[in-house]
Amino acid sequence: MIGVVQQMMYFSIPLLVVALGAMFSERSGIINIAMEGIMIMGAFTSVLFLNISSRFGLAGQLQLILAILIASATGILFSLLHAYASINMKADQTISGTALNMFAPAFAIFVARVIQGVQQIQFVNTFRMNVPLLSKIPVIGPMFFENAYITTYLGFLILIISAFVLFRTRFGLRLRACGENPHAADAAGINVQRMQYAGVMISGALGGLGGLIFVVPTSVNFNADVAGYGFLAIAVLIFGQWDPLKILGASLFFGIMKAVSASYSSIAFLAGLGISSYFYKMVPYIVTLIVLIFTSRNSRAPKAEGIPFDKGQR
Amino acid sequence: MKKRIMAAAMSAAMAVSLAACGSSDTGATTAAAGATQETGAAVSSDSSDGKYELALVTDLGTIDDKSFNQGAWEGLKRYADENGKTYKYYQPQEQSTDSYLETIGLAVEGGAKLVVCPGYLFEEPVYLAQEQYPDTYFILLDGEPHNADYSEYKTGEHVMPILYQEDQAGFLAGYAAVKDGMTKLGFMGGMAVPAVIKFGYGFVQGADAAAQELGVQVDVMYNYTGQFAATPEAQTMAAGWYANGTEVIFGCGGAVGNSVMAAAEASGGKKVIGVDVDQSSESDTVITSAMKMLANSVYDGISNYYAGTFPGGKTTTFTAANDGVGLPMETSKFEKFTQEEYDAEYKKLADGEITLTSFSEGNTDPTKDLTLQNTTVTFVE
Repeated sequence: MIGVVQQMMYFSIPLLVVALGAMFSERSGIINIAMEGIMIMGAFTSVLFLNISSRFGLAGQLQLILAILIASATGILFSLLHAYASINMKADQTISGTALNMFAPAFAIFVARVIQGVQQIQFVNTFRMNVPLLSKIPVIGPMFFENAYITTYLGFLILIISAFVLFRTRFGLRLRACGENPHAADAAGINVQRMQYAGVMISGALGGLGGLIFVVPTSVNFNADVAGYGFLAIAVLIFGQWDPLKILGASLFFGIMKAVSASYSSIAFLAGLGISSYFYKMVPYIVTLIVLIFTSRNSRAPKAEGIPFDKGQR
Repeated sequence: MKKRIMAAAMSAAMAVSLAACGSSDTGATTAAAGATQETGAAVSSDSSDGKYELALVTDLGTIDDKSFNQGAWEGLKRYADENGKTYKYYQPQEQSTDSYLETIGLAVEGGAKLVVCPGYLFEEPVYLAQEQYPDTYFILLDGEPHNADYSEYKTGEHVMPILYQEDQAGFLAGYAAVKDGMTKLGFMGGMAVPAVIKFGYGFVQGADAAAQELGVQVDVMYNYTGQFAATPEAQTMAAGWYANGTEVIFGCGGAVGNSVMAAAEASGGKKVIGVDVDQSSESDTVITSAMKMLANSVYDGISNYYAGTFPGGKTTTFTAANDGVGLPMETSKFEKFTQEEYDAEYKKLADGEITLTSFSEGNTDPTKDLTLQNTTVTFVE
């Protein structure tokens, strides 16, 4: 059981971070389904960095922190394409996002081949750590502080900051206003375009970071693939009704179901029940559908999301 | 105005990136040519007429991909160096039947009498090429030539498709693991395709054979993940098995193995068995690999060609009997299992003393097909 909770974090934290990213974009009024592509780009550059820098003897937490910065920066740069297309050019945001999703894996494979010949980029994982003192606590210690990654704590930190920024700062209020009623926001003297750029760039930073967090515990190389977790994060966002705390709940729920379905064979109690693993795999999606059915009436989706802001329409 | 400048800048950027694509392609070709220049005296001595008798067209990735390309190239190179033949490899510009076929054409123009095509992606290109180039000989690794919709299989007299007896490789891996003192094993396959199932069945039977010899009980966790990708699901399943005491997992399905390696690294002291090629360079946790001996089979095919006994027109299956499968003992990290034990068991496989049970039609669950004495298989759906 302890193992399941530990494994759950490998699912939940990337989902949480990426969903929070998408939340900022959608709260500003821009649908960002390019999260999958952004994750791939972020993971690509940062894993490439891990690969190259470990040849120069760099390892451990410092290397991981630098990789985190690179992943976020890449995500921001990549998301600017989406921002430019959907804010300045007023393009269809779904199409722009889809284009980026298709572009990212192709780009990652192409560049990896040009640089090193093989599309898989290997890295050495030196980032697991036991938190002193805390890892000695019974039950909780092994769950959260043994063999842990700093990215797990970073994920929770991002959650707290996100909730604070969104609901307790002037920036957050303005951002939400742009997603609900950009014309009113504009009338109140807010630069809507700038707020939307900010929203998309935050989603880029968190998406890129999420890509790195996703890949590091899961594999020993990066193969231009994040297994659809960018799309799953958007499901988490909707399930979480665009609210940071609910998103946390949704990502923990998705995480625990994923972890259980993958590891039920090693939990005697669950293996004894004889329920097929497909059942656990289906549950999060079925629940998402049910939640959508019951909440679609009063969905908390930002009212103006997906509609290009045009000053002249006021 | 601003917008127009941006548009102009973006189109300029696109033009540049397109140009970059073009130039890097030529870059790849020259690099390939350059590499062959370095490989041996044979090339330069004969390069005056610019003809190369033996050619290899690379699959995805480069010649040093630690996988199919490299394995096949090593066999070709070894034969050519020993016998003073000229050789060269050609790299397709992209992964498509057309591009592969075109590159085969380049090789033929370059004077190739025999073209080695490593990997099942060449099944269709070779199917087409055998018609176009009736005078050129082909060796196709790990596949059989067929047309685009699999409706027609055809192997010309000048084509040698090579398949491998995967269950024997799996057998050796399972046998070695149990002989090395492990009693809790795992098998994580990719999709349940015939090659993967064979590896798994062989693995279980090998473990059982060793368990009977040693008189121990062996448990095998057994699962097909259903995909060939590295996912948190695969990593979690492996981590769960390791936490429950599984000592070694045979990661048999492309990148699934990488997830198993990640789980093994996190579990401290747990082991992984690689597949297809020697995967020891990918993680320190890899103790051995159930290998297809590509170099040996390519070498064999080429020497048969020069001896006038090219076994074309039918599929050749490489087994232990012709050194077609095996474990890379020189890079393996066994504690108790010795080279002598390996050789003895290998000989039994080669002589046909050990016969392996294959899967029955439509079934992928080893507990239904195999009768095991000292081994309990837990099939995880």
